[in-house]
Order: sequence, then structure tokens, then C-alpha cells
Amino acid sequence: MKGLIFSVKRYSIYDGPGIRVTFFMKGCPLNCLWCHNPEGISPFPTTVMQTNKVGEREFSKNEEVGKYYSIDSILEILDQEKVFINQSKGGVTFSGGEPMLQFEFLLEALKSSKKSGYHTAVDTSGYSLAENYQSIIPYTDLFLFDIKHLDEAKHIESTGVSNIRILDNYRLLMESGKDIMVRIPVIPGFNDDPDYLEKLRQFIILSKNDSLKKINLLPFHKIGSSKYKKFNIPYRMGNTEPPDKEKMKKMKEFFMETGVKVKIGG
Amino acid sequence: MKISQRVKKLRDQSLNAVEKISAERALLITQFYKSDDARELSAPVKRAKAFEYLLKNKKICINEGELIVGERGPAPKETPTYPEISLHSMKDLEILDSREKVFFRVDDEVKNVYKKEIIPFWKDKSNRDRIMSLMTPEWLNAYNAGLFTEFQEQRAPGHTVLGYRMFKKGFLAVKEEIKDATDALNFFKDSNALEKFEELKAMDIACDAIIMYANRHADALEKIAFNETNSKRRTELLKMANICRKVPANAPETVHEMLQHYWFIHLGVITELNPWDSFNPGRLDQHLYSVYKREMESGSLSTDELDDLLGCFWVKFNNHPSPPKMGVTASESNTYTDFCLINLGGVKPDGTDAVNEMSYILLDVIKEMRILQPSSMVQISEKSPDRFVHKALDIIKTGFGQPSCFNTDAIIQELLRQGKTLIDARNGGASGCVETGAFGTEAYWLTGYFNLPKILELTLNNGFDKMTNKLVGIETGYASDYKCFEDLMNAFKLQVNYFSDIKIRGNNVIEKTFAGWLPVPFLSLLVEDCIMNGRDYNSGGARYNTSYIQGVGLGSITDMLTSIRYNIYDKKKISWEELMKALESDFKGHEQIQYDLIYNTPKFGNDDDYADRQAVEVFEIYYDAVNGRPNTRGGVHRINMLPTTSHVYFGSVIGATPDGRNAQLPLSEGISPFQGVDHNGPTSVIKSASKIDHLRTGGTLLNQKFSPSFFEDEDSYEKLTALIRSYFSLDGHHIQFNVVNAETLKDAQRHPEWYRDLIVRVAGYSDYFNDLGEDLQNEIIKRTEHGSER
Repeated sequence: MKGLIFSVKRYSIYDGPGIRVTFFMKGCPLNCLWCHNPEGISPFPTTVMQTNKVGEREFSKNEEVGKYYSIDSILEILDQEKVFINQSKGGVTFSGGEPMLQFEFLLEALKSSKKSGYHTAVDTSGYSLAENYQSIIPYTDLFLFDIKHLDEAKHIESTGVSNIRILDNYRLLMESGKDIMVRIPVIPGFNDDPDYLEKLRQFIILSKNDSLKKINLLPFHKIGSSKYKKFNIPYRMGNTEPPDKEKMKKMKEFFMETGVKVKIGG
Repeated sequence: MKISQRVKKLRDQSLNAVEKISAERALLITQFYKSDDARELSAPVKRAKAFEYLLKNKKICINEGELIVGERGPAPKETPTYPEISLHSMKDLEILDSREKVFFRVDDEVKNVYKKEIIPFWKDKSNRDRIMSLMTPEWLNAYNAGLFTEFQEQRAPGHTVLGYRMFKKGFLAVKEEIKDATDALNFFKDSNALEKFEELKAMDIACDAIIMYANRHADALEKIAFNETNSKRRTELLKMANICRKVPANAPETVHEMLQHYWFIHLGVITELNPWDSFNPGRLDQHLYSVYKREMESGSLSTDELDDLLGCFWVKFNNHPSPPKMGVTASESNTYTDFCLINLGGVKPDGTDAVNEMSYILLDVIKEMRILQPSSMVQISEKSPDRFVHKALDIIKTGFGQPSCFNTDAIIQELLRQGKTLIDARNGGASGCVETGAFGTEAYWLTGYFNLPKILELTLNNGFDKMTNKLVGIETGYASDYKCFEDLMNAFKLQVNYFSDIKIRGNNVIEKTFAGWLPVPFLSLLVEDCIMNGRDYNSGGARYNTSYIQGVGLGSITDMLTSIRYNIYDKKKISWEELMKALESDFKGHEQIQYDLIYNTPKFGNDDDYADRQAVEVFEIYYDAVNGRPNTRGGVHRINMLPTTSHVYFGSVIGATPDGRNAQLPLSEGISPFQGVDHNGPTSVIKSASKIDHLRTGGTLLNQKFSPSFFEDEDSYEKLTALIRSYFSLDGHHIQFNVVNAETLKDAQRHPEWYRDLIVRVAGYSDYFNDLGEDLQNEIIKRTEHGSER
């Protein structure tokens, strides 16, 4: 069994506790306007032209975006990083794309990682079948769960899918007894007006229990825009600027009233 | 720490002082050597008398407001020369005066003195002349071709650090030790008794000399006090005078006395000769702690007073640029820094954690003073608290390159392997850039950098060096003669052995010139067991005597060999003929080959065993060639892996290389990957770097450049601490962080005037970015920036 992975990040420090290895799995059912990994949306391997200059001459080659990894090769990478993972109480994170899109591989990868003693995290949009989440719960220590918008119409408008299933799965995981970190991408003009934020805060307060360990506020950033150019994908965020630091700080304080730990960034 | 007006003024004075050559010492030493007193004396006594003459006649400098007194030259940054070591010609002086980087202004008076007095007397008589006349043609050929450098060519060996003993002892008590050792001489059984007698006599003279020098300061202070109208300062001056009467004759009992005591010792060492790494108080937090504690408890020292004392002490180091270097010596160590590396943390002699309140206080001083010298490091053991590491990271993140991080547990194992006792090992640390040593008991001399990639170049050309147009190596064959990779490695090994033989033979001659002509009776007082042995520091009097040869370019040579193995032997992508043609033309017209060598070939630094095994193989060959070979001081040669700035010089003597590097560009530094070839992040660099056996070296240097964003996140300290501790659990010796983004550096290149205070980590030390040559600046910019974004 093999999984399609478009990036492996070592010394990954924003995707769960400690120093981790994050596997970015290719393919996503969502199509968020602000996506900062646009190359991860398509579920097929692609290539990108990589140009390098040597002296005055330019050389190009096609680089693969998305390679197939076996479970063994996943474990090999984890074992290479073991010393850092152990020292920092880190682990492995499966992100994407949407890792649940390659559910069978993900399940095996989680099982094997757990068996080898690694802390496991799944970074998910929540858009998958409930029974699939039920299957991975026993092998997952932490869920990084995105809440992009509570309003269905708005959700569809900017991600291409309804949020009903997402919110159901959120409640399901909250009852799983596993750790959850809620990740809120803060997208100016989309989900940052005060009325909405108040609604979101109420939602969190009402739905939370001990499983909810942290709220991560992920400010929109433009680092992704260069990727759009590189991968030749139309950029859809126009001139949207990242929210300023002051605003993020206030938002952090605002969400701290939920009684949950809040962090700006991953 | 609060920087008071006093300290601010002294710090400004130090920062604004211009580096100048002072002819004072050269003139005094010449007068002495010409005098009747210098005749008919044994070498050690002659040197002791010279030391006494210098300290008796040199100008006393007391700067306004300072609490710790004593300058090597007549004023801050006025730097003496050492013609008995190496003589500057008139042309040298002109170069020093006019060169853009690391200059020393030379005024007409100095030039005049040199022309009339110094040069006529010392011409062809300096130790550098002696060394060069004693070297074989093979040594000279290799030296001129840039196979190795020679540390003792323009500076004396030193490479040692003050241990705890001299922080608890005055020179009057040392005189007693000398007397006991003299009384114990056995002229009936010991055929060396007379030599020992003379050495001990010299040591005794040196004790008196340093006490006399301190008293001269006391006299001067009393005189200034007499004319001082400000009563507060007058009291201060009189107190300082009393301290100079007390130390270093007697053991220091307060923090103030301790710092002044050390400073006189420091000045003594760097006046006697110009030893490498100047001198070093070593484990300063350990030395100061108990006295500090006692004073705080008794109320005799306030926090403000402590801050002032430490601030004044720090400025002293910055007032003393490294002595002016020329030619190859300037290339290998192109900096004003004189490598005093203060150690904080580590473990106590009983093995328990040594981090104390003073460790944190001194970290604070480093942060607030933010000056080039002294340099600083933290010793991190498994027992060190995370808070200590976090505090260090707090300073590191400001991008000033200090402190660097060392692995105490590795240092102890390195020292134990070399035969030190456990206690001596625990009292040790690192000095200079990254060099492991037993503080207070070991003479660990660095003897020169060793250009490993250059040896490969010669191996591909049958020993012939195209730069100097000479047969420099041995005729092991041409590139295309090597039928398999093992053939090439065997030939490379023969060449490494050949050059290490040349270097070691040279070392063993050079050591003897220092033993014979330039003993250091003062330095010998400071390092155990010189007195007990009646032997000079320069002749093996210390308890441990090690000679190091520093390997350079590990990342580069690994990539070169990996490229050959991959492209020629394993994958057969190109032939030797094609490759050698491409190298000869510096890849002009062969860009496709160069592109493949750079972008389609495995590289060191990515935790890829295919590449990294060549690093291990080179390391083992080099280790076998050097480790354990006897020196002349009763010790042996060992290796370490650090470059200072020699990787730039060594690159300049090498043509295009099989890793795709263009001719004359810098090599990789320390054990870091070649600039820009590591693309898997810091954990992979650490994994690659830890594949060589650090514990069999006397120090390795790993440089990691981080953008400041790595330090912004609230959890980042914990993760960086885990990263450091992971490296150390793999027996890594040292890691340092360059925290600055490439944009800042590029801007600094465009507008040096705006970045006069920009300090960056170079390689084992920090330097002002503006003082680095353009090639080195470019290299630092190029070093992989491990961004925090994914």
C-alpha cells in the first residue's frame, strides 16, 4: 500500500507538540480561496518546472509534485528523526491536502506509527465520512481540526463544500477522548468581523470539553502566493493583506475567554 | 544588568578607539636584547628579565572612570608588536595601515622607530626567520601551495586557559611553590637539574615582575587620586590602588580583587609574548560565584557595583585587538577578535550541574554589553536546566552570534579519551573557537589548518599543483588511472599521510624553537605542573601537552568524493576525461556538467548515507594520519575540525572541484555542509554532522543559520533546546546559530555605514560584518537559511 505525499517536513514545529515530521498528503475535497498549499489540492502526481542558474545559463528540470511512499518508508523517515522526536516529545503529523482522502493508507500509517511508539496527529478539514474518523480514533493522539466558517453558505462560497458534515465530525471527535486543537484560519473579510467572532466563540464554549486543548489562530499570509505562481494556479486572494499583529493579539485575548489556551500560529 | 554612565563611557571609548600599532614594546624588547643584561643568560632567565624590563618600563595607562586597570599598549586598542616572534617590514606596516579590513594605523613615528631601531636589529633574527630556515623544501612547497597553514609563524603557542588554582592564589604563594621545587632539585640524580634550576629562577623573576607591575599601577592611581577633586572618585581610586597592592601578590578575596587579579595575569601573558587566543579566564561563573555569594550576603557588594565591575572588566577585553597579522596568518584568522572565550555552565568537579546565579548574571552582561570581545559560550550538559539554555537562546536570537552552545558531556568524554583525569576533564571546557582543553592543566596547541580538499585536487593530478606549477604531493597517478572508487581513496590516503608527515615533522621542529629560544616563564606559572616539573610551558612542563592539526573543508571534500563516486563510478554519468576537462576550464562551456554536479548529485548535510559515508571515510583517514603521533613535549598530535576563516583562503588556492564549485571560491566551514546544499532542514544537518566521531576529536564546529522568525514563536525556545540537546545526545561537540536574515545582510553589504554594529557568527567566533572580506560576506549570505515557513 502506498500513499501520495507532496511534501515531507522535518523539524516541523507548528503541527502539534514538540519536533515532528509532517507528511503532506496529496488531494483535497475542499478548494479554499486562501489555500497555502495549492499544489496539494489535486489528488494526482504532477510536475513543476524547476529552473536553476549556473553561471549565465539556466537549466530546467521537471520536479515531481507528489511521490508514492510505502508505510515502511514513512517509518524509515520517522526513525531517522527519532532522536529529535524523543527529545522534544514530538511525533508525526499527517496533513495535506486532506489526509482522510487517502483513508486506508492513513489508517495503516497511523497504526504503524503508533506501534513504533510515535505520538500521532492528523490535521484535517473534517470533511470525510464519520465512520472513517471512528476507525482512526484509536490510533490518533491528536486532531488538528479546522473551523473555517460556521455559516454554511459562506463555507460553500469560499471552500466549495458544505460545513454540515464538518461540524458533525467536530462533535464526534470532541466525544472521542482524544486531544483536539481547533485551528481557525483568520481570513480578512471572510471570518473576522466581530459578530461572527462572537458567534464562533459561543460555538466553542458550548461544544468544548476536556478534549479541546488549544485554539490556534492562523493569520492569513501571502507566502502561498509565490506558490501559485510557481505551480501556475490562479491566485484568488487579490490584494488581501495579512491581519495586523495588534488585531491578532486582541483576537487572542477575545478567544481566551473560552477558557481554552489560545495561540497565534501553529 | 544596568549599564551605568561610567560603563557606557568606557564602552564608547572602546568602540570608538582606532586600532593602531604601538612601537613601545618592540622598542623596549630591542633595548633589552641589546643590553648587557641580556648576555650570558640562560634562555628562560633571559626571557624573564625581558618580561621584567617590559613591565618596568612600559607606560601605565589608567582610563577615566575605570575600575579595572591595565592596558597592553599605551592606550586602548594601541597594539604592540613582537619582533622576536615575527618582524614586520616597512612594507608590512604600510599594508597594515592601508588595508581596508582589519587595519592598524601606523603613524610616522612608529615607522621611524621601525626603520631605525627595530628592523636593523631583528632582521633575519625573528623566530619566524628561524622557523622558515629550518623547514624542508617539501614543507615550504606544501605551505606555499596552501596545503596547510602554520600557527606559530607569527604568534607564539598559548592555547590555554586559566584554571581555578590561580583564582585562589597570589604570586607570593607561587614563589613559595617555586622555592620548594628548587629545594627539591636533585643534582646528584637528575641530569636536567641545572635546566630546571634556571627555569625556576626565571619563574621567580616573573613573579616579582608582575607584582612590581601591579605596584606601578598602585603608584599611578595614588598620584591621580591626589589630584582628583571629586571625592567619590578619589575614594574609588585609593581603593583601586589598595587592590593593586594586594593582588596579584596575594590571593583575591572580593569580586573586584578577583577581576583585577585576573586582568594583571591576562596582561602578563599577552605582554610576555603574543600567544594564540590571548588568554582566558575560562569558567568565570564558577570562579566568581562563592566570592560573589559571600559579598552579597555580607552586604559588601551591591548589585549596581557588581554591574559596574563586570562592565568595566568586559570593556578591557574589547580594548585589546588581536596582534596584527600578515599574509597567510591574516588569511586564516582575519579578525580583530583574540578568541578569549568565556565559559558558563557545565558541571562541577563532582559531576553535578554547575549552573549558578553567576552564570545568569554573566549572560546578562553579555546581552547588555554587546561587544565583540570577550567571546562567550554556554556549556550544556544533560544536567543543565532548560532555563539556562533558554536564557542563552534569548541572547542568540538577537543575532549577535554569542553565546555558542557546547556539549559538556562530549567535552568530558573527549578529554577522558585523551587520558585526563575525571576531575581535570570536568574542570575543562572549550576555548578559542571550539577547542577542547583541560583548563589550568593543559597546553593544547593548535598548529595549523589542513586543507583536505586541496589534497584531493593533488590526488587527481598525480601530486602536481597547477597553482604553484610544482610537484607538491607524491605521484599516485592521475584521475583516470583510478579504476574504481577504492583506488582513488587509497591514493588520497597516501597523500594525506604524506602531508601529515610533512606537517608533523615541521611541528616537531617548530616546537623546539619555542622551547629553545622563547620559553615563557610567566605563562608557566599559571599552568599546572610547570613549577613542580621545573619545566617551561613551551617545553612540555604542563600536565598535559597536546598538538592539534585542524582539518578544514569536510563538507566540501565529502561532496567532491560523493560526486566522483556517484557520477563516475556508480552511475557512470560522465567520464573522468569529461570531468577533468570541465574542471580545467572552470566549467566554462561545461555548464550542463556543472549543473548536474550541483543539482543532480547527492550532498552532505541531508542525512543521506550515500553522501555522508564519504565524510566518515575522510574523517577516519585524517584521524589515522594524525592522532597519536608524538610531539616533542611528551604529548601527542590530535585532530579537530574548525576553520576560523581559513576555508576562504584554502578555497582560493583550489581550482574548480567535482562538487560543481567554481575555482577559488570558499570551501565549506567546520563540519557544516557546503553553503546552500542542505535542503532537509536542521535535523538532517545535525544527523549528517553527527556521523563522524566527535569524541575522538578535540572539537568540531557546526554552524546553523536561522532566520529570526525561528525564535518568535512562544514554544520556539523549547524546540530549539530540544534540537540542541538532540545533537548533543548524538555526541555533537558544538553548535552555533547565526540569527539574521539574508535581506539584512545584503542591505548591510550595500550600506555598510548603517550596519557598523552588525555582528555575525563567522565560524567559531563572531565578527563585525563590515570587517569581513566581501567573499566571506557573500558566503555567510549564501549559507542555507532554514526558514520557518513550509
